[in-house]
Amino acid sequence: MKIYPITAFSIVALALSACSSEGASEAPNTDSLLTDDWDLIQEAAQGQEVNLYMWGGNDNINNYLDEWVAPRMKEQHGIELTRVPMNDAQDIINQLLDEKTAGKTNGSMDIVWINGENFKAAKDNGLLWGDFTGQLPNFNDYVDAEAPEISEDFGEPVEGLEAPWGKAQFVFVHDEDRHETPPRSIAELAGWVQEHPGQFTYPAPPDFTGSAFVRHVLYETTGGHEQYAQPAAEIEDLEQRLEPMWQYLNSIEPYLWREGETYPESLAKQDQLFASGEIGMTMSYDPALAASEVLKGRFPESTRTYLLDEGTLANTHFLSIPFNASDKAGALVAINELMSPAAQTAKLSPENWGDMTALDFEKLSPEDQQAMNEVDLGEATLSIEELEQNRLPELSSDYIDIIEKGWTEHVAKE
Amino acid sequence: MKKHPRFLSLFLFIGVFIFVIVPFVPLIFTSLSFGWRWPDVVPQAWSLRAWEYVVNDGRTWQAVGISLSIALIVTAINIALAIPAANALMRYPVRGKWLFEAIIFSPIIIPPFISVMGIHLTFLRLGLTETVLGVVLAHIAPTLPYMFRALMISYQTLSTDWEDQARMLGAGAMPRFFHVVLPHLAPGIVAGASLSVLISLSQYLITFIIGAGQVVTLPILLFPFISGGDPGVASAYSLLYAAIAILTLIVMDAALRRYYQRNKATKEQAKGVKP
Repeated sequence: MKIYPITAFSIVALALSACSSEGASEAPNTDSLLTDDWDLIQEAAQGQEVNLYMWGGNDNINNYLDEWVAPRMKEQHGIELTRVPMNDAQDIINQLLDEKTAGKTNGSMDIVWINGENFKAAKDNGLLWGDFTGQLPNFNDYVDAEAPEISEDFGEPVEGLEAPWGKAQFVFVHDEDRHETPPRSIAELAGWVQEHPGQFTYPAPPDFTGSAFVRHVLYETTGGHEQYAQPAAEIEDLEQRLEPMWQYLNSIEPYLWREGETYPESLAKQDQLFASGEIGMTMSYDPALAASEVLKGRFPESTRTYLLDEGTLANTHFLSIPFNASDKAGALVAINELMSPAAQTAKLSPENWGDMTALDFEKLSPEDQQAMNEVDLGEATLSIEELEQNRLPELSSDYIDIIEKGWTEHVAKE
Repeated sequence: MKKHPRFLSLFLFIGVFIFVIVPFVPLIFTSLSFGWRWPDVVPQAWSLRAWEYVVNDGRTWQAVGISLSIALIVTAINIALAIPAANALMRYPVRGKWLFEAIIFSPIIIPPFISVMGIHLTFLRLGLTETVLGVVLAHIAPTLPYMFRALMISYQTLSTDWEDQARMLGAGAMPRFFHVVLPHLAPGIVAGASLSVLISLSQYLITFIIGAGQVVTLPILLFPFISGGDPGVASAYSLLYAAIAILTLIVMDAALRRYYQRNKATKEQAKGVKP
């Protein structure tokens, strides 16, 4: 009777160790995929199951992948594409870090959707597979690899570790029927909030969008973005340079929603305030989000987006392959397909997603250009030309850290 | 049972109405509304968009199945672990009893996040992440204390005299357990099982970290919508979640009732046969 639990335990232990050692020997050497012919890669990709780990909180985006992309992937390439919903891209990085520590070689993440801080964290910790973008025909044919928004991700050189999937640009969102002339600069905004107390607020940093709003304030109140091209550590009087930004943010605070006593904790909360009519403006890092919210009936029909006269921040979001992805060939083919003109055109429509293309418009064939031009972006969305001509570059992540910490100290606590 | 005075039952009814029924109303409205804005008390236009997404997404039903299977397996394991543990701790003079109780109850006090971070690395090495088995094992920690607590109370009111009497009448260990102990424990088991199922169903973080996106339960689908700000879909998922939880509780309660009715019937039958 006493032996029984011990035997049971050792059987379980044996079974488990068998599982883990089997896992280790399974990992094939896949680095040849970085140099193989595309035909060979396509052949290897046949029948692979590719898991795409991405934020899963928008039914349009989810449907675009599940109903537009996945069936085509299966039909054209024999790849089973599964979207895995995540709450935050940060979780992807934490997961990969643990897998790296534990030495897991047959990971289930084949493609991950990342950019900015997450890309930097992944790159610094060696969580990404390698320089793969040169292998993708659609990258070589349609992407301007030299453009700064493609070759750098929030100031971090991309080095082929991730492939551009789409572009985002900061826009302000307002209801035309309620406020006909919204403020078109940070300076005008200060006057506007005094005239319309309680109608404006921004999500508290480190919320992604709220933090981006604060960077617009930084650019305008401290004299442009050019001075921040060097690393933050090299600017000695950075504290003093940031001072006008804190002053500005504190000066508008009494006129914000709930007298600035509190800020919405996330953009989702702020959008909710705008949707319910409690505030008159919101903001978005997705130029077509307002249009798709109008389609869903959440935002009023008279919702419009606009840019600042000096332009707004823009960035690119990317797809990457983790170091331990099990189906790398499938991942390469899938990413290539997601970058195809057809998939990018479908992605542009607000009914599907409304995300701007990562491809260089000039490099597309006349037919593809026409197809893209014919997409109805919705009345709330600005034209691609207007967006493109008013882009401001992002700050590198060391500044973002300083600003987000500084905001808590200088604005939230005072 | 004594009949409650009229005002008390009215008071209870109002309480239940305000705290249980009313919170569901905005959820139902949000999930069905098309542009519900202040100052409308009731939405002016309706849309099935959120429900269409939730119902048509094949993953929803897969997730419901996986959530329920995990919750039921976890509960079965909990019963198997908690009965001997409660039996030993309540009826035998165990030295350092408080220590064992403290260990079993500690998951209630220690946030699961802390333990699961450590468990994750170990499970990764053992190849248990991304498996239902791993998620089941991880769910046992936060649910076992509730099952144990319920059974502890059941055992407190069960004197060993009953089993001694059965033994004197010639009953072996198995019949003693099934005919004397188990009927007495049954309400405790159902109470513990209800809590165990509910807590397992509501786990997000543990499932997410150990399941790593490969074990998709209902909370895994629901959470991105709550934080991502699609109140329509989030409300629809929440209602579905609540419906499944309530349904499970009702089924378990009905099973207990049937068990007692059957027992009563067999006893009465037995009485009738005897002269």
